[in-house]
Amino acid sequence: MTQISPKNDIQKGLSAYTIWSVLGWHDIKQRYRRSIIGPFWFTLSTALMVIVLGVLYATLLKQEIRHYLPFLAVGLVVWQFINTVINEGTTILIGSQSLIKQINLPLTVHVCRGVWRNFLILLHSLPIVILLLLLFGFWPHGSIVLLPLGLLLLFLNGIWIGIILGILSARFRDIPPIVINLTQIAFFLTPVMWSPQILENRAWVAQWNPLYHSIEVIRAPLIGSPILIESWIWTVTFCVLNGLIAQWLMNRYRNRVAYWV
Amino acid sequence: MKTRIQVKGVSVSFPVYDNAHRSIKKAVLNLTTGGRIAEDIKHHRVVKALDGIDFDLKEGSRLGLLGHNGSGKTTLLRVLSGVYAPTSGQLITRGRVASLLDVSMGLDPDATGFENIYLRGVLEGLKPKDIKNKIDDIADFSELGDFLNFPVRTYSSGMMLRLAFAISTSIDAEILIMDEWLSVGDASFNVKATKRLNALVKKASILVIASHDEELINKICDRVIRLEHGHILSDEKIKKTKAI
Repeated sequence: MTQISPKNDIQKGLSAYTIWSVLGWHDIKQRYRRSIIGPFWFTLSTALMVIVLGVLYATLLKQEIRHYLPFLAVGLVVWQFINTVINEGTTILIGSQSLIKQINLPLTVHVCRGVWRNFLILLHSLPIVILLLLLFGFWPHGSIVLLPLGLLLLFLNGIWIGIILGILSARFRDIPPIVINLTQIAFFLTPVMWSPQILENRAWVAQWNPLYHSIEVIRAPLIGSPILIESWIWTVTFCVLNGLIAQWLMNRYRNRVAYWV
Repeated sequence: MKTRIQVKGVSVSFPVYDNAHRSIKKAVLNLTTGGRIAEDIKHHRVVKALDGIDFDLKEGSRLGLLGHNGSGKTTLLRVLSGVYAPTSGQLITRGRVASLLDVSMGLDPDATGFENIYLRGVLEGLKPKDIKNKIDDIADFSELGDFLNFPVRTYSSGMMLRLAFAISTSIDAEILIMDEWLSVGDASFNVKATKRLNALVKKASILVIASHDEELINKICDRVIRLEHGHILSDEKIKKTKAI
């Protein structure tokens, strides 16, 4: 067994999947201990949110509800994942300090635990999406076979972002509030509640947004459209880039994190 | 492969980022407790917790660490267990390291006793099958019986300690790192606990223990290092190791 070093932390962390999957699942169980429907609260609250926002914004944006609701449902569920992963990413290492200072684990394990926890929440919200799609008679596009790939990219990207923000926030404690503000703004700038078509000649706001494309590789096939090749390019590039930054930060600062948290 | 720990010129400095403008400076420069406080090149205050530590432990070594509060004992233990990477110098360890730094590490008060045992096993990288075997051993030893199905927050502090002790001593280590000798519970349990701890120490190929109790160190160690301000003050062999 080789020792954990800055260079192999990510690889060792990812392969310690028994640790982070058990801990991530435990976190969810903890949150809903003594609750009767448990993690299905995620399902219920998604349903509530989608229906209320859906009816409201379909009217405001003058969209047809049978097209708008499924569009919003998929977007919102994926956005919730992105949003929580980013915001929790800033506190994930700081919050794991008691473990970090007691036991020599790859730092990536703590990040994976958080991302996995949110991924499980995403999976719990999925039934609502499927229900809505069926209800409105949607038939998925053939590119649905690529859905697992889209989810995998989303998951990996979440881990890279968690590592990046986790390390930076451990050192600079002003980053968490900055990030919270930015994600709030990003929510309005990203086509989650509105579709880029209504921007007409200002559609570049969406086209140049990597978050939009990360959502799109999952949303498009589900609501019956093809995935545009540029969405794949953006998503894969974004993922690779974040992976490289995460590895670079690990190489430089991995060994400092225990001192910072 | 033989177990071994080599510590070569290891230094550790803690950066202190908060309270940067408060005047700790005038208060602390010359106390007997704590490491040396200095500033690094970027004018962050740093505490030099360890400074140029050298030693080499081979199979069968039993090292005791003595020193004041804040002399660097616990920091050194954390370096040895791989939590803190040395700021400078080199640490080479061969063998599976297990540390008993904080017995209640990772205990989740809302989870049941059984769940806590399981989680801890997972954290230590055990396979589910090995954890199952462990659960029986821990349940037996802690004598908590049906209480293991209850959330840990419903335990009395004595019961909590029993569980924590049983869990953290159910490890299999080639290199054992301990912060203070653990003593828990009422008289009868303490006898059992001491027996279990002795067995654990005997099994380990290398032991490093930090303590304030010189008598204890003389009893179980064959070498003692005294630390002060993060320096090694003395490094001596203990001549006669009494059987424990």
